[in-house]
Amino acid sequence: MPFAYYARLTRAQQAVYRKSDSITDVRLPRPADLHPLVGALDTALRTEDRVDTQRASDRLIRGLTDALAIPSVKVEVLAARPHAKWGELHGLYTAERGKTPKIQLWMRTAKQKRVVAFRTYMRTLLHEVGHHIDYVLLRLPDSFHTEGFYKRESSLFYQLVPEATRPEAQSAVRPVDEWAAFPVAERLERLERTPTELARLMRGQSDAALSRRPAPEAWSAKEVMCHARDAEEHLGGWMALILFNDDPVLVEAGTVARWAVDRQYARQHAGAAWDAFGRRRDETLALLRALTPKQWEESGRHARMGRVSIDRLLSLMAWHDDNHLDQLRRALKGDWGS
Amino acid sequence: MPTMEEYAKQPVTDRLKRLERAPDELAAAIRGQSAAVLAKRPDAKNWAGVEVICHLRDAEESFGGRFQMFLAMEDVKLLPIDTDRIAVDRQYLRCDAGEAIEAFRARRAESLETFRTLTPEQWKRGGTHPQRGRMTFDDFLSLMCWHDDNHLDQLRRAIAGQA
Repeated sequence: MPFAYYARLTRAQQAVYRKSDSITDVRLPRPADLHPLVGALDTALRTEDRVDTQRASDRLIRGLTDALAIPSVKVEVLAARPHAKWGELHGLYTAERGKTPKIQLWMRTAKQKRVVAFRTYMRTLLHEVGHHIDYVLLRLPDSFHTEGFYKRESSLFYQLVPEATRPEAQSAVRPVDEWAAFPVAERLERLERTPTELARLMRGQSDAALSRRPAPEAWSAKEVMCHARDAEEHLGGWMALILFNDDPVLVEAGTVARWAVDRQYARQHAGAAWDAFGRRRDETLALLRALTPKQWEESGRHARMGRVSIDRLLSLMAWHDDNHLDQLRRALKGDWGS
Repeated sequence: MPTMEEYAKQPVTDRLKRLERAPDELAAAIRGQSAAVLAKRPDAKNWAGVEVICHLRDAEESFGGRFQMFLAMEDVKLLPIDTDRIAVDRQYLRCDAGEAIEAFRARRAESLETFRTLTPEQWKRGGTHPQRGRMTFDDFLSLMCWHDDNHLDQLRRAIAGQA
């Protein structure tokens, strides 16, 4: 399923998009050779020194281009991210005719000026390297953000940061902090795809299969679906509360496990729950797309999460979708995993 | 059936007793009734017995959430709740009425605990209700008494097949 912008592309661009989408992996010949450079970058970022971080980023990117036997790229590390209506700029790849391509990376957040987390920075770095790979290794005439593009980025990430490797069953779940590094438009697309992905997973499944718990303490697919529906209502309520109040307290009246029991998820119809979720999701997307830049930054206070802006809630919802799609998939397979 | 304003004139202890009785009154109202009777709507518009009970259960959770906000913030602007939509979305008609009463009972016990531990100052705290304007804890206690009466009556009528 291509992202929504696919429909707006020309035929030639759509062909490039499909090619990009079909390539999901970039293999490094000896990834372990680059691990010391990754460690050095982590250390440099912790010093919060821009020059050290630039040097370490440059070495790692050069190591990558050498390993892949592709032309090198200039690297520039800058301080606070530029920001505007569309969100914060994390990195930028530019390639002008006759000039060496350039990767720019920003190491501090726009508002708080905090140094970004190592994993987030690595993701951004590999995202920009991914654009370079598209042009010079894969020989694509354009570098689109396709699902294949993100998978290639992930494949590099897990070769370079092996301690981050997760079981295959969980590989589709991107943490909230990683989602936060994505532009708003891409996070909205994540949200937009979810009803279709849920439908695809549940299509043709019997009520018995949808109701089966993979373990006594684990939710069935139907319970996951009901949870997604109620979470959408709940998080939509938080967004509305933030927009109608100045710095509200975001409360949880009980736990999600209690919802599942109190609201009797096991007795419900998964298809009807999906339908209700889809309507709520449409409303969430309409609300988010109508926000002004100032409203994106409005926030509330949560006992565990601290200050939570609407932008942060969008990242949370993107992760939440990943997480429960994965859970639903595993529930249907009867796989509870770890 | 007393109005909300009439309840407001009653002492807090009397109103709390009214809230305390509700779970048993609901259980008594549905005793011996079949699932089919409890899921039968008296007409196209009005809720079936089980829907009334699920509404009380979910309203109690919602009251609990609002009370947390009253204690943590100054004059929160409360959001409207579309109870008819929630009844459909959460599939009240598929629920078991007895289980819903037990969930309501647990939530009600928590509400009573909140009321019973409020200081005199906290009783004056509150928020702005979308239809009713500024409401304090004390106002909410009266509202909940009236709400119990209203929906118990609606439940009995639904079981009798009356709108």
